[in-house]
Amino acid sequence: MTKIMHYDLIIIGMGLSGLMAAKTAAEAGQKVIIIGKGMGSLCLFSNTIDVLGKLPLTMKMEPLREASGVDTKVRRGEHPVPEGQFTHGQVSGPLGTGMSDGLSQWMKDHPKHPYSKVGLDRIKEALSSFTSLFPPPYSFQTVGNGNCLIPTGAGTLRPTYFIPITMVAGTSLKKEDALIVGFKGFKDFYADYVADQMDCRGITLSLSEAFRQEITTTALARLMERESFRETIGRAIKEKIHGETRVGLPALLGVRESWKVKKELEEIIGSEVFEIPTLPPSIPGLRIFNRYKEWLIQRGVTFLLGCSVSRATLKGKKCEGVDVSTPPIFNSYSADRYILATGRFIGGGLVADEEKIFEPIFNLPVTQPKSREDWFRKSFFDDLSHPVHQAGILTDSSFRAIDEKGEVLLENVWVAGSILADHHSVDEKSREGIEIATGYMAAKQALGKIGA
Amino acid sequence: MDIQTEVLIVGGGATGVGIARDLSLRGIPSILIEKGDLTSGASGRNHGLLHSGGRYAVSDPEAARECISENRILKRIASHCIEETDGLFISLPEDSVHFRDRFLRACEETGIPTTLLSQEEALALEPELNPDLLSVVKVPDGAINPFELVLENARDAEKHGAKCILHTEVTSFLVDRDKIKGALAKDLINGEEYLIHAPYLVNATGAWANQFLKLAYLHIDLALSKGTMLITNQRLNHRVINRCRPSSDGDIIVPNDTVSILGTTSVRSEEVENFEVTPSEVSLLIKETAKMVPAIQGTRLIRAYAGIRPLFQSEEKGEDREISRGFTLIDHEKRDGLQNLITITGGKLVTYRLMAEKTSDLICQKMGIDVPCSTHLKPLPGVNESPKLKDRLKKIGHPVSAEGGEILCDCELIRREEVEELLKEEKLKDLQDILHRTRLAKGTCQGGFCIYRLLGVLHDLKMMEKDSNKILKGFFEERWKGIRPVLWGTSLKEEELIESIYKGIFDL
Repeated sequence: MTKIMHYDLIIIGMGLSGLMAAKTAAEAGQKVIIIGKGMGSLCLFSNTIDVLGKLPLTMKMEPLREASGVDTKVRRGEHPVPEGQFTHGQVSGPLGTGMSDGLSQWMKDHPKHPYSKVGLDRIKEALSSFTSLFPPPYSFQTVGNGNCLIPTGAGTLRPTYFIPITMVAGTSLKKEDALIVGFKGFKDFYADYVADQMDCRGITLSLSEAFRQEITTTALARLMERESFRETIGRAIKEKIHGETRVGLPALLGVRESWKVKKELEEIIGSEVFEIPTLPPSIPGLRIFNRYKEWLIQRGVTFLLGCSVSRATLKGKKCEGVDVSTPPIFNSYSADRYILATGRFIGGGLVADEEKIFEPIFNLPVTQPKSREDWFRKSFFDDLSHPVHQAGILTDSSFRAIDEKGEVLLENVWVAGSILADHHSVDEKSREGIEIATGYMAAKQALGKIGA
Repeated sequence: MDIQTEVLIVGGGATGVGIARDLSLRGIPSILIEKGDLTSGASGRNHGLLHSGGRYAVSDPEAARECISENRILKRIASHCIEETDGLFISLPEDSVHFRDRFLRACEETGIPTTLLSQEEALALEPELNPDLLSVVKVPDGAINPFELVLENARDAEKHGAKCILHTEVTSFLVDRDKIKGALAKDLINGEEYLIHAPYLVNATGAWANQFLKLAYLHIDLALSKGTMLITNQRLNHRVINRCRPSSDGDIIVPNDTVSILGTTSVRSEEVENFEVTPSEVSLLIKETAKMVPAIQGTRLIRAYAGIRPLFQSEEKGEDREISRGFTLIDHEKRDGLQNLITITGGKLVTYRLMAEKTSDLICQKMGIDVPCSTHLKPLPGVNESPKLKDRLKKIGHPVSAEGGEILCDCELIRREEVEELLKEEKLKDLQDILHRTRLAKGTCQGGFCIYRLLGVLHDLKMMEKDSNKILKGFFEERWKGIRPVLWGTSLKEEELIESIYKGIFDL
């Protein structure tokens, strides 16, 4: 017999919602274990924190090529700000008025959306809790009081909300300001591709002949942490710069101490430096993951990465324990309460066979389109989101799974993150916001801190 | 700009390039015009089967004879495009043994060599076969790479004086009484228009035959039949596997390089560009082919696609499968009094060369010259250049150089250098042209990563400016048609990844 270990709270899933739930519970002094098969979509896609990208932009920002320079709005670069003191556009609360008003309207229009179950005040608390994990120098900022636009690896400008300081100089660019820099042999970022779309200049640097290995995002990010490498890169850029005041590189300026990588590059080049999100993996996402991991372990949370829950033991309307069997680990864990934050298809939180979508751990009912014919629209880029993305677990307002009659199915299991029904985070650009808000809220609910 | 040539061939499928090559080897100049890229039609949308003729032995002995004869010729002249796998016709308990015996007799009568295998022998050869099978007949089927075959014919034709003009459409004819004096052609990419004067015209447009003939106010009886196929993520069988029963849905599994292709359906289509595959067609093909190879149930599919077969009907028949798969050569002088137009349609990929031979013979006869065909004797140029196992292994173990050695496509291991070489060598006009000539976007992720990278390379080489995101979106729409019907399980996971990248990170 394996020994059963008992906790106050077991969190299944190590994406942003699971991590956020773990933080919230740890802060409340609970004995917590977080079990994750992998690092979640955080390290794939999350470069910045989207809250609701669909919001109308509150600060008027023209696309680059139309930028005339006569705009009287404050733009970055006109008044260089010392490191760590990005005063412009910063707001006192966690949500600018534009975002706050937009979210309120959104919740009115979408009463079943996960945000509506959390409520504006709790969303603000959750986001504050997130940003408090990232004090300067590597902090998350807002620009303006709503979304800002950041350049991407496809040369598009993408709306998002909180951005790490390594991306701030990329907002409200003027084309003559920007130089985009890529690396020969690195296949996941193309400076000329980005620059041609943005109507600015791009250069591709040769790396030393010493690199006989395939150059990956992670390898480059690690190299950036080396002073000698940074110097070589910085000097090469300085040689080729023609007065551009801002230099964009793929988002790989170090896994650790990226603020320092940025600062030192800026000192060598003499221009501001910013990161541009590109194909997975996401180094900025990895930084978020690492920060949570470090913090949670410090607080005594048991951190079980690389293990998946194979089975849950249910008795009546209660979960009594979960089995983890990822060789060589075979263990059972029990807790008073459980949070399911296993994500969607990529994370394995939802599984689809030829006919239907199901949830494999608790076998919770998954609300979904009637047949596979209806999962996807005929056009990939249809204006409307594919119906399959609305599929997920239905919950009551306290984030416990319910059946179609509204009956709570499991009394001690709460559900958080992208596995929830009634959102389409990719189209809404709300992925991280939903994960942070619902992870926070599910933990609060599980601990009985709200209304219980 | 007016162009003068001897023969104007319309249609860049196997038949069209086959005619261009045949004529060029006889010393007759020609121009081939294709409105898309080579292999845009049925030549690029089939299951890549080198028929032994077995499939038609019972129902259509003439087509079967043509197949076995061409099968042998192609193995000689295009060995580098062919994998000589052999094929098995398997009888399951629900199949009639009478049909198998009829099949064996018909093969004998049409000259198709057969070997009857017992259940044990068959399972030893193909362990994934349904163990309940009763017996198996082995025939000389094979797998053929239609893209390479067509490109090779085009290369050889151009080497001998023919010219292929792609992305160009014939928009009208200049007709003088009983003769077409010229054809007005339009470049679909730059909009340029010009006249092509040719004493002889060949309509090799396959399923588009009537669209083309409309320009001359003519019409032939052509039935369009849509066939749907599925590609598995891995190769499940060494040999072609056929069901030993009268033709029906889901009766063939063709191995092709690293994948298997499951086929096929036959649905009458009114439209010539109807390539939509429905989830129910997918389910039907899985269900039927899994009876032969049970492992298909649960195997990941990477794509579904459909092609349109042009079937010539000399008389009305109800069931498309009963219409001859043999080809039809129409001399419009005899049929309609239009002196210099020929239509060649119907047929199979495996008989493309014979179709080209007969068409070229007719042209020579009309010209009043007597030069024999030599395409059955002269191998295609790449026959001796095909990479040997040693070279392929070298490629896999190739030390990656920092610049140019990066693998653009992780599924098919395609290096940047290879792509750059192709871009330098050939004049390519659009993304599909590149995809037809490489294995990019043919692997598991179906271009989810490598097409972005390819566009990045094009920017680096200054071959592309602003439109790349439009092209990228266009590619994903096209790709969607093939993967939408097969999205569940692992494929659905990957789709979530792709969507999160392109709609999420890149906000396209």
